Amino acid sequence: MKKYRLTMFIVLVLCMALLLTSGCSTQQAAPGTQEPEEGTVEETVDVKVGTVGPLTGGAATYGLSVSNAVQIALEEANENNEIPGVNLVQISEDSEGDWSKAANAFSKLIDQDNVNVIIGAVLSSETAAGGPIVMDGEVPTISPTSTATGLTEGNPYLFRNCLSDEVQASQLAEYAVTELGLKRFAILYTNNDYGVALKDAFEATAKEKAEVVAVEAFMDGDEHFRPQLTSIQQKEPDAVFVAGYYTEAAKIAQQAAEQAMSIQILGADGFYSPVLVEIGQDAIEGATFTAGFFSADPNPVVQSFVARYTELFGEEPDMFAAQAYDAARIVIEAMKQNGTDRQAIRDGLAETKDFPGITGLTSIDEEGDTLKEVLILKVVDGAFQRLR
Amino acid sequence: MISTYYLQIIILAGINIIMATSLNLIVGYTGQLSIGHAAFMSLGAYASAIATLHLGFPFIAALLFGAVVAGLFGVLVGIPTLRLKGDYLAIATLGFGEIVRIIFLNLQITGGAVGLRGIPKQTTLLWVIAAAIFTLFVLRRILNSRVGRALIAIREDETAAESMGINTMYFKTLSFGVGAFFAGFGGGLFAHYFRYIHPNVFGFMRSIEHLCMVVLGGLGNMWGAMLGAVALTAIPELLRAGAEYRLLAYGAILVLMMRARPQGLLGESEQTGGSIRRKIRIFSRGADTLKKT
Amino acid sequence: MFIQQLVNGIILGSIYSLIALGYTMVYGIIMLINFAHGEIYMFGAFAGMILVVFYNVPFFLAFLLAMAFAGLVGLTVEYLAYRPLRRSSRLAALISAIGASIFLQNLALLIMGARPYTFPSPFIPKVYQTSFLTISKLELIILAISFLLMFALTFFIQKTKIGKAMRAAAQDMDTASLMGINVNLIISITFLVGSALGAAAGVMVGIYFRTVTPMMGLMPGLKGFVAAVLGGIGRIPGAMLGGLLLGVAEVMAAAYISSQYRDAAAFAILILVLFFKPTGLMGSFMQEKV
Repeated sequence: MKKYRLTMFIVLVLCMALLLTSGCSTQQAAPGTQEPEEGTVEETVDVKVGTVGPLTGGAATYGLSVSNAVQIALEEANENNEIPGVNLVQISEDSEGDWSKAANAFSKLIDQDNVNVIIGAVLSSETAAGGPIVMDGEVPTISPTSTATGLTEGNPYLFRNCLSDEVQASQLAEYAVTELGLKRFAILYTNNDYGVALKDAFEATAKEKAEVVAVEAFMDGDEHFRPQLTSIQQKEPDAVFVAGYYTEAAKIAQQAAEQAMSIQILGADGFYSPVLVEIGQDAIEGATFTAGFFSADPNPVVQSFVARYTELFGEEPDMFAAQAYDAARIVIEAMKQNGTDRQAIRDGLAETKDFPGITGLTSIDEEGDTLKEVLILKVVDGAFQRLR
Repeated sequence: MISTYYLQIIILAGINIIMATSLNLIVGYTGQLSIGHAAFMSLGAYASAIATLHLGFPFIAALLFGAVVAGLFGVLVGIPTLRLKGDYLAIATLGFGEIVRIIFLNLQITGGAVGLRGIPKQTTLLWVIAAAIFTLFVLRRILNSRVGRALIAIREDETAAESMGINTMYFKTLSFGVGAFFAGFGGGLFAHYFRYIHPNVFGFMRSIEHLCMVVLGGLGNMWGAMLGAVALTAIPELLRAGAEYRLLAYGAILVLMMRARPQGLLGESEQTGGSIRRKIRIFSRGADTLKKT
Repeated sequence: MFIQQLVNGIILGSIYSLIALGYTMVYGIIMLINFAHGEIYMFGAFAGMILVVFYNVPFFLAFLLAMAFAGLVGLTVEYLAYRPLRRSSRLAALISAIGASIFLQNLALLIMGARPYTFPSPFIPKVYQTSFLTISKLELIILAISFLLMFALTFFIQKTKIGKAMRAAAQDMDTASLMGINVNLIISITFLVGSALGAAAGVMVGIYFRTVTPMMGLMPGLKGFVAAVLGGIGRIPGAMLGGLLLGVAEVMAAAYISSQYRDAAAFAILILVLFFKPTGLMGSFMQEKV
């Protein structure tokens, strides 16, 4: 018995040693660039693009969307040979949704893989932890989804490509009062940086023009919203602003219906996913929310991205994917303009002006924040419709 | 020159050594199952970060401040909860940990759900090595003293220890307080390394991870706890090569390791014994007595 | 509003109770915290969802099949991760259970992907309304099934021969085996039944909240465990009571204290209960033998 255990232990140690030595096999060369054919002398250089985000754990669905969309952008650039002589390679690292693991991932990409640019991280806490690391390492980084206030301030290497929480929430509040004629608002927010920032901005604007009668919170990943909804129902608001992501929003709509509460649901760009309608079904009908992306946009760039994403991953892209695709496109644009070394990409990113992305015209300001137009969408017959 | 990435892993391993050895004092030597070690770590992290940011403390003072705050909470929490036994204690500490996390998530001064940014980077490899040695030294002094023998007596049989005249409540609280003190110490180093803290990494899964380090290394064995800490810091990073199979493999490794060495990597199995020199006995003895609780 | 919130709490609590039963049954026999129980609950929910959505199996049949499937998963986990450690320290088994939990969670993530699946409610939506209470048909069905399963389990444990053997093994495994009880078989049956109950909870949560994801077992698993301890771990009526109490406490905290502190208040109540009843609400007084 003892011998058997010892053998097993040794086998385990050997396995681990094997894993250690096999090292960085994650580099998946984005297919597309054919091997240089006979006769072509031109040699391609690999330029590494890292992505950081949760690929496992509770937030995995967001991280996977980002990683998938970046993959498409890089493949397209390689296929069309957009940057002559350069083959873009994606290295995707997992953060488990834990910012300290994200910090490890950032360090690994910078020191071990020697990437030239990083697209990430996904959650704001992850990007906040990675910020000082990319600044020390002087590696340009663009987060497609981290919306926390002031994240990029004082960090010349950190940029982002997403709607500002303040801007969209206050625009939505304004629209709800003036266009939809709503008077009494309730707010139901996720107790994380995204939810809190949206809540604060919405509350401030809505209070000026109308009334906010109830503010309730829930935790990331909660499934049961009945107590909050019951409290809200007591206050008889006209509308509830759900400051959170699509899964929760859909469940909130369902549970509101479950308690015979018919109410206008408002939301922000976190609503944008086909999953919203899949789970929410009839209950989410009529929900109105801000967004940066609209997949039914006739723009051919949008249509080709949606088609390719759906073909490759079997689902329609969500807001995370769209913003990540644009972030990758902005990086590629910067490489085309300025060159592919770290400093050149950084300068290119900082100069981004009126970039025609699938999430609208995008400019990056001096703090590394994004200026974008805000769309307002509505769920009509199980599909999104553009109101503004 | 060592790369920043490896340096980061080594520093994290050092912090985890402090976490695991201090938890080992509570779980491995005193026999009290705690699943709330990350809460003390977060108390130390936040207290020291606030001391640096708002009170202008120098680094070493901030670290000690964080550790003392965590230690005080350890005593405060220990007094009511240490009356509980076994899994009831475990669940009470787990509950305490979640309460602390949720409070930090809602407080203004801790940055709430946005987290605390802009903490100066003070933790270096040298600091971590010094801190780990200091921790081990103090723990060893405690364990090789009358107190250590009392703690082990409590672990072996609480009723017997009590009837021998050991004030079990006092020593259990002491062990809890000391464990929490060093957890807070580790938390301070953690905060001043990452320059950012957010409550979400101090959830119950982090406490479970600390417990895994201790049990994997061998309960009641300080070298084991160190080995466990290093192993569980390194394995997830080594497994980055496995891409999406990473955590699948991590889970399987935990099961297989426990199957292969149920007493932990350096724990003594029940059959063997007596071969280790007397002097280091107490410091590195395998314990397999939590069966009873 | 108070009655409405109370009912909200009881419905949530009945689900916690079902999960807590799985923990408590296993604990009662082998003193192991089956950390992977939350994942078995998730596997059950997936099995039910796949059968209903992709194979158009009638709901109640799918429900039973999901319970059977999760029971088998529970058996496998017991065989691979716990049985080899039965004579080792309890903490070793706990770590093995944690490993199994991480493994199963990521297995589901690899197979099914991270995106949430929709589990449509099989019942025609209908809401019953009175002046002080609104309740849907779905919620009534969930309540009915949970209580039915709890009564069935009580009957099984108290009145059948296998139940008797389970109680004997829980009291003293060695003596039970001397009395001719096949202890290994009894432990397997315990895992089977506990896991099946977990799956029942999983499927009901699936239709109640309309979604199934690989991560869905984490928090309910923790809450179920807390509920089991609250009631007095190892005690079947305790698990039922603990679950209901936890559900009601959580909802009341969200309604009357602050929704920001919902879980914190629930845990504070737990600690308070343990302070006055150190072995849980229904736990027996622990007689220590010297």
